[in-house]
Amino acid sequence: MTQFIYGLLLYIFLMLPPVADLVESIMITHMHMQMPLLVISGMLMGGILKSRFPRFFEKWNSNGIPGITLFMIIVIYWTIPRTMDEALTLQSVEIWKFISLPFLAGIPLRDSWKKLSEAGKNIIIIIFTIKYFGMGALYIWTPDQLCNNYLLIDQLTLGWGFVTTAICLVIYLVYTYTVDPSEYE
Amino acid sequence: MAIPYNRKTSAINEKTNKVLGVNLDDARISKSYLSVAFIALLLGGLLGLLQGLNRAGVLELPVWLNYYQVLTAHGLLLVVVMSAFLTIGYFYAGLSHTLGGLLPKVRKIAWTGFWMKIFGFVLVVIPILMNEASVMYTFYPPMAAHPLFYFGLVFIVLGVWALSIGAFINVAHWRKNHKGQHLPILAFFATGVFVLLVGATAFVAVEVLFMIIPWTLGWVDTINVMVARTLFWAFGHTAVNIWYLTAVSAWYVIIPKVIGGFRWNDYLTRVVVIALVIMNITGGFHHQIIDPGISLPIKFMHVFMSLAIGFPSLMTAYAMFRVFERTGRRKGGKGALGWFKKLPWGDVRFLAPFIAMAAFIPAGAGGIVQSTNQLDQVVHNTMWVVGHFHLTLGMTVVMTFFGISYWLVPHLSQRVLTPAMNKLGVVQTVIWTIGMIIMSFSMHTAGLFGSPRRTSFTTYGDFSATLGWDPYMAAVGIGATLLLIAVILQVYAVFNMMFFAPKGETEFPIAEVEPGETPTPYMTERWGVWVVVMLVVIAMAYVLPLTDMIVNAPPGSPPFKTW
Repeated sequence: MTQFIYGLLLYIFLMLPPVADLVESIMITHMHMQMPLLVISGMLMGGILKSRFPRFFEKWNSNGIPGITLFMIIVIYWTIPRTMDEALTLQSVEIWKFISLPFLAGIPLRDSWKKLSEAGKNIIIIIFTIKYFGMGALYIWTPDQLCNNYLLIDQLTLGWGFVTTAICLVIYLVYTYTVDPSEYE
Repeated sequence: MAIPYNRKTSAINEKTNKVLGVNLDDARISKSYLSVAFIALLLGGLLGLLQGLNRAGVLELPVWLNYYQVLTAHGLLLVVVMSAFLTIGYFYAGLSHTLGGLLPKVRKIAWTGFWMKIFGFVLVVIPILMNEASVMYTFYPPMAAHPLFYFGLVFIVLGVWALSIGAFINVAHWRKNHKGQHLPILAFFATGVFVLLVGATAFVAVEVLFMIIPWTLGWVDTINVMVARTLFWAFGHTAVNIWYLTAVSAWYVIIPKVIGGFRWNDYLTRVVVIALVIMNITGGFHHQIIDPGISLPIKFMHVFMSLAIGFPSLMTAYAMFRVFERTGRRKGGKGALGWFKKLPWGDVRFLAPFIAMAAFIPAGAGGIVQSTNQLDQVVHNTMWVVGHFHLTLGMTVVMTFFGISYWLVPHLSQRVLTPAMNKLGVVQTVIWTIGMIIMSFSMHTAGLFGSPRRTSFTTYGDFSATLGWDPYMAAVGIGATLLLIAVILQVYAVFNMMFFAPKGETEFPIAEVEPGETPTPYMTERWGVWVVVMLVVIAMAYVLPLTDMIVNAPPGSPPFKTW
């Protein structure tokens, strides 16, 4: 219950107009701060749903793959430049962002992550690493403005944000590959 | 589950340590570090007095020793040398004690690191003595020192990396032999500190190696001042917090034992360490809150990142007073505040760190003032800031280090703390406290009135408004004099305890957790994950301002020698 309240508070905080305006005014904080925080708020709120409706999650997401697939679809959808643009110009898309990220990405991620095998988890991280390097390259090297609402410098910054995040993911993958937890735990 | 195991191992460790005593090879390493630290304290303190008397208007420095030269040496000796050497000496002693001795190869690494740091420091000192590097310890471009100064810094950083690698090897070795157990708490703090040391120095290494050295050697004409400052503060702020985290480790682990109590809440302690490690480096931006070239939304967001660091500090304050209260009550303290009287006020090992903790209340509040944009507008680059870091470093951190020295030095030297030496320590603590209160209060006040920092004595052509600062600056001189007396007593005490005190065994005081405490989850031990989280946070915090500073860079600046 405490987690649900924290999640809900975070969700409401992110919805407050000044907060949303501030983080959406900068491209990288829109994508790399507001969106992950929305997912996290969903993850925090998801615990209570899991305990209320265990049968539902068992029936539809027994091995975690449907859930993680839904999570990937939602998250990848929101990294497309056009979707960010629309969230800023169309109220309905903005509402869709605030519903889809916590409830269709955050909750499935929480339910699925522990159900996945170690290899499954690493595959997801590898997919994100490749995607982030790709997105980074796209945003850094595209000479044109990809979003109507953001300047080229915003785009470049976001590109480097993708690349640095991807580097962190590589460091994590190298760590899991080289360090065998059974030697320590 | 892991806690009982931990208690068992620590009991076995305790027994082995009792039978074998301190490992003399390991003790030599720590004693060398502590000796350098306290010699640096003596020299740095002496230079501090010169500055204090100059600012008080009673001492004119000779032409061959200018104020800025003294200021640079004072800062480097105390902020870089003394604090770093104390931290490393203390944590290596802690690793040796709690992990069953240092590995032979780690010992070798520690000595290599020691000599690299000393060599680097000699390289740094030469140009300072020649008045070729009066750039202050922040060495902000476009002020440029002699290249030797920066080469020296490189060796100091390499030494730090060697020591960090040594610590990681020892910790990994212990964990392989103690599967599934929690790292002993002092070694856990040490791990956090060495992770931060590597993280922090990586930034300054990039600044010095790739920006400043090519620029001072003339390979490139200009330097991007904003980027250099940003990289410096990622290091500078973290360095300060590393010394603070070192002091905090003694508060959580050592003091409960000194006062005869238990450590409270192992889980909370470990979470505080992890939180400080993850959030620390990004706090560096609040040092640049007045810098141009960083947009307001970024500054606004970084205020959150800076204030977030305050949160673990509040957890620490709560944990500490809970330990004090419980211990005092167990000793028979009655009523709301009766427990307070039961604490061992006559024991310097408690008194000095307690005053250090109490000083962090105003010091932390001052820090919040400085990380708040509007308030900082008033005090930025004034004497207020100098007062602030003399409270945080000069009281909170250094007084904890002093308290540590009264058991660590005798422990390492197989000698004892005599009642007479304890009394000297109490006197030293009192003098230091009075001196620092006078000095830092006057600095804060003069700063509020606008007196700038980093300027030698001047009456500004007897301008009436600035003459009002003079009484406060005179008080700074008085404070500095008291502080030097305390420094001399402290250095005397350290070397007396190292070489002349009566022989005997002194315990390394490590408190046990409270009986019946719920076990700490194992996730606190997954350092690999925490380091990656730290890197992600750093990446997110730095990518935005740095891209802006590099892409929209001004033409850059050639080197300047302003002195």
